[in-house]
Amino acid sequence: MINFFFLEAFKLRHKLRSWLGPLLIMILVLIAFPLSIDISQYDLNKFYFSVIVVSLLMISFLATESIFSEDYEDGSLEQLHLEEKDFYKIVLAKILTYVFFIGIPMALIGSVFSFANGVSVSEVPKIFVILSISTLILFNVFAFGSALSINKGSMLGVLASLPLALPAIVLLGRGVRTVQYGGGFFEVSALMAGVALIVTAIMPIIISATLKTHLE
Amino acid sequence: MQLVTANNLGYSINEKRLFHNLTFSLNSGCGLHIKGGNGSGKSTLLRIILELTSPSKGRVDYCKPNLQVSYLGHKNAIKHYLTPMQNLELIFKSSALPEAITWMHTLGLNKVQDELTANLSFGQQKKLALIRIFASQSDLIVLDEPFVGLDNPSRDLLNKFLQKKLASDSSLILTSHIEPNILCSELVLTDNADD
Amino acid sequence: MLTSFIHRFSSPKSFVEVTALFFPYVMFLGVSCLVLGWVWGLAFAPEDATQGNSYRIIFLHVPASMLAQLIYFFMSICALMHLVWRVKLAAYLIKSAAPVGVMITFIALFSGSIWGIPTWGTWWQWDARITSTLILFIMYLGIITLHSSFSNAEKADRLMSILVVVGVVNIPIIKKSVDWWSTLHQPASISISEGTSIDPSMLYPLTISIFGMTLTMIALGILVSKLYILTREKNKKWVQAHV
Repeated sequence: MINFFFLEAFKLRHKLRSWLGPLLIMILVLIAFPLSIDISQYDLNKFYFSVIVVSLLMISFLATESIFSEDYEDGSLEQLHLEEKDFYKIVLAKILTYVFFIGIPMALIGSVFSFANGVSVSEVPKIFVILSISTLILFNVFAFGSALSINKGSMLGVLASLPLALPAIVLLGRGVRTVQYGGGFFEVSALMAGVALIVTAIMPIIISATLKTHLE
Repeated sequence: MQLVTANNLGYSINEKRLFHNLTFSLNSGCGLHIKGGNGSGKSTLLRIILELTSPSKGRVDYCKPNLQVSYLGHKNAIKHYLTPMQNLELIFKSSALPEAITWMHTLGLNKVQDELTANLSFGQQKKLALIRIFASQSDLIVLDEPFVGLDNPSRDLLNKFLQKKLASDSSLILTSHIEPNILCSELVLTDNADD
Repeated sequence: MLTSFIHRFSSPKSFVEVTALFFPYVMFLGVSCLVLGWVWGLAFAPEDATQGNSYRIIFLHVPASMLAQLIYFFMSICALMHLVWRVKLAAYLIKSAAPVGVMITFIALFSGSIWGIPTWGTWWQWDARITSTLILFIMYLGIITLHSSFSNAEKADRLMSILVVVGVVNIPIIKKSVDWWSTLHQPASISISEGTSIDPSMLYPLTISIFGMTLTMIALGILVSKLYILTREKNKKWVQAHV
């Protein structure tokens, strides 16, 4: 599995648009919000987390749009399936690679922007932690959507997986609220981490069954 | 030694039968040329043999444990945003890479090894894809229309390679409208699956 | 042995033949109970102490809400049967149940919105129960859209089943949303563990309405399933003889 991780990292490194694109779009969205709203800095601080959460949702979907479709279209998925019968290892390696190279930087960008909008320096690591855990959950969910709609366009994948991502957003909102208003951060982040571990354990198996259906 | 056996294989799609009651076996050092018209199910049969597709009826058994299979289908399984050299680094482990690079030179792709694969011609991309077969140490080679897009020298090279592989006890299953220059048995799929 | 038992009694042909026998009775009983429950509830049940007559939408809203979740739960069982035992009929039933689920979830959301005006003073609230039911509505639409996107029907059945099974995680979230989050939506009126919190004069017509709507939706589901099965199996000899 480590080998697959390095292979995915090799591919991502040479496909600049796939990893840099989502990060730049996230920055643009986070900049666009304060430009589009004419409210005081204090009020902006109250609302800004919603923008970070929603932009995380959108960019997670964007980042995982072609996670499997590229390999499916060019036949690499078949070759991987022939090479590795435990297909879920390939899926897990792909998702973890994307989380590492795109999800964690997204969480970092979100943390930096939250700091730029009034969150104190001591709270920024907490924001980074909950955003990182959220990207792990969201990337798994949207990877499932991408796997379902592999060659039918991204709209179908979003329609299928977005309803599953919304409970994760509820949890993320809870986590953000504990940072903003205090109380229960470790409990909420532990819950999120538990959910993330369960999703990361189960989703690759479901995704590999979905991909095998497409290969058939 | 028997390598692959297929018993009463049948396949239907959207309630339409492609083929049924197919039974055959393949021994080491033997080749099987699957023939048939367009839409008769040749590629599907290959995918069933490779266990990429499940048959509607029957089964395929591999008689040798840990059978090493190499396959090239209609899709080349190469990345267009990488160079040929980078594609080989992606496909092959470091131990097998030197042999792959040798084949790249043999096929004349060393002249374009640092160009993006997207800019190569169809035939050059096919040759790059075939390196996966040339440089692998496999017991069973499965090829779907391997000669398409190749110039005459490359076709001869592929024929010679496959003859050599059969002589060294590897087996071969292929589909091809272009008649291969190798000794192998034939399996003909008819279009009328109700016969 | 279990596998052969399942395959013997789950052929589409058997389903069409067996359901044809009892479909008229189910439909008749369902509509009768629905009419009885609604007439009783709308005309004869007493006014509510706090909500007055506006509560009477409960006889539409509660059955619709319950069925919205039950239909999805039924679909998830069928999905498991299709994925594990490759039962074709199970996939046909999921495909047929989904439009019924869309319709009933829409009725639940719409009737809830109407009830919200006199009760909460608003058509809509981003409340846990309402939002999660809206998500369920979108999930039904997603399932229908996914299946119709693939020309290979067997592949579409499998992918749809996988999506249904994964999406079932939303059902306990809807069910428990009123307990887990502080919401505007009232808790369950009828609970298996905690009994009921409403007066028998309202409970009886409500129960009859729930029963009637369930049977009516089952009858509707049978009708839709039959049409879909005949379409999917149109090349088979038994369908040509049937039609």
